[in-house]
Amino acid sequence: MPHSFEQTILPHLDAAYNLARWLLRHDHDAEDAVQDACLRACRALDRFRGGDGRAWLLTIVRNVCFSRLRHDRVGAPAEDFDDNVHGPTEDRAETNASVWREARADLLRQALERLPAEYREIIALRELEGLSYREIAAIADIPIGTVMSRLARARHKLQDELIALAPKEFSHGV
Amino acid sequence: MECNTVRPLLDADSDGELDLVRHLELEEHLRACASCAGLAEAICSRRNALRESLPRFTAPPHLVANIRAALAAEIKPAASLPTPASGASIAWRFWRIAGIAASIGVALLIGYNLGGANARSNALFDDAVSSHIRSLEADHLTDVASTDQHTVKPWFAGKLDFAPPVFDLAAVGFPLIGGRLEYLDGRPAAALVFQRRKHAINLFIWPSGSSSMSTRQTSRHGYNAISWSQGSFNFVAVSEIPAAELGQFADEYGRLGR
Repeated sequence: MPHSFEQTILPHLDAAYNLARWLLRHDHDAEDAVQDACLRACRALDRFRGGDGRAWLLTIVRNVCFSRLRHDRVGAPAEDFDDNVHGPTEDRAETNASVWREARADLLRQALERLPAEYREIIALRELEGLSYREIAAIADIPIGTVMSRLARARHKLQDELIALAPKEFSHGV
Repeated sequence: MECNTVRPLLDADSDGELDLVRHLELEEHLRACASCAGLAEAICSRRNALRESLPRFTAPPHLVANIRAALAAEIKPAASLPTPASGASIAWRFWRIAGIAASIGVALLIGYNLGGANARSNALFDDAVSSHIRSLEADHLTDVASTDQHTVKPWFAGKLDFAPPVFDLAAVGFPLIGGRLEYLDGRPAAALVFQRRKHAINLFIWPSGSSSMSTRQTSRHGYNAISWSQGSFNFVAVSEIPAAELGQFADEYGRLGR
């Protein structure tokens, strides 16, 4: 068999876990989701005909995670994420250098955890995994234009949350 | 470059997504414009803060062991894997052979019906039926055999220049059994395979571009096809199942796609 768990999936396990951990926000849930995703990937592995193993695994991981997030929202209607309701692209604060230069690591982490899952995902894939827009578009199943607009909104929302978490520290700069 | 042109590109530039020419033009502007340069510096601070302060979580060592153990447990009973396809493989094989003869007859009938405004649509049904037949004839129903939409959908990534909407309709009696690549309407298309009792349904999906289709059903000699467009995709479903059931399949699929 040309592909195996060891060759195709194992090298990307950290990337898979990082994405799941940011999406689900709990160690145990993330482990569970990654294991589920890896088993699903392995079942389809003999049909996997090469290509980008990381993008393939991450797509399965994010789908498993979003299924769980939807499942956990008991009673709430399953709504598709609408990029437009999360604020317009224009008329928002510009990137504020002092906010970012002085950001404390623990507050930054809290700020990201407060964002909607789609924003946590795109920040994790772009800033932590260093994936290209094209790779993110394939994994999240959205057009590249949406990657750009969603990433812009996610970054600005993150800055807003960061300022909200430490209002005194940044009051002079905003 | 003007400031208004430069500002929307600053993020993409820091992400390394600009082509070289535009990157150089932007650099030139930043040397001359203090206000844009300030923004670029803020973006740079943000990137550094995110990279330095946010943890990149790594998989705990016991996770690998757990996955290996779960895989080993799955491989043991693999000989009698209870997927819908292999569980009914003998009946399935018989149906394939029986289906081919009927399918070829229907393909010929549909071929004779060409003409007028429906010519393109008929040619499309013809192609879809032929693909359906080939998939049965060559024992090549699926390239990726999986009842799991989460593995079927990503399988298409990198093989097609679009991401087809993939849903499992097992809950309403049309379980997904896999997918494969096809060539339809002069371009690569996704073929999803569903099962209804012992019958296969081939669902072909490709981007509609500028030529979306009206919903249309053909029904000849118990062999059915239905076409529709939704969102930015065209769909054609082909199967031996009764027209009403195929219509229900199309409705359910369309409902999930909304």
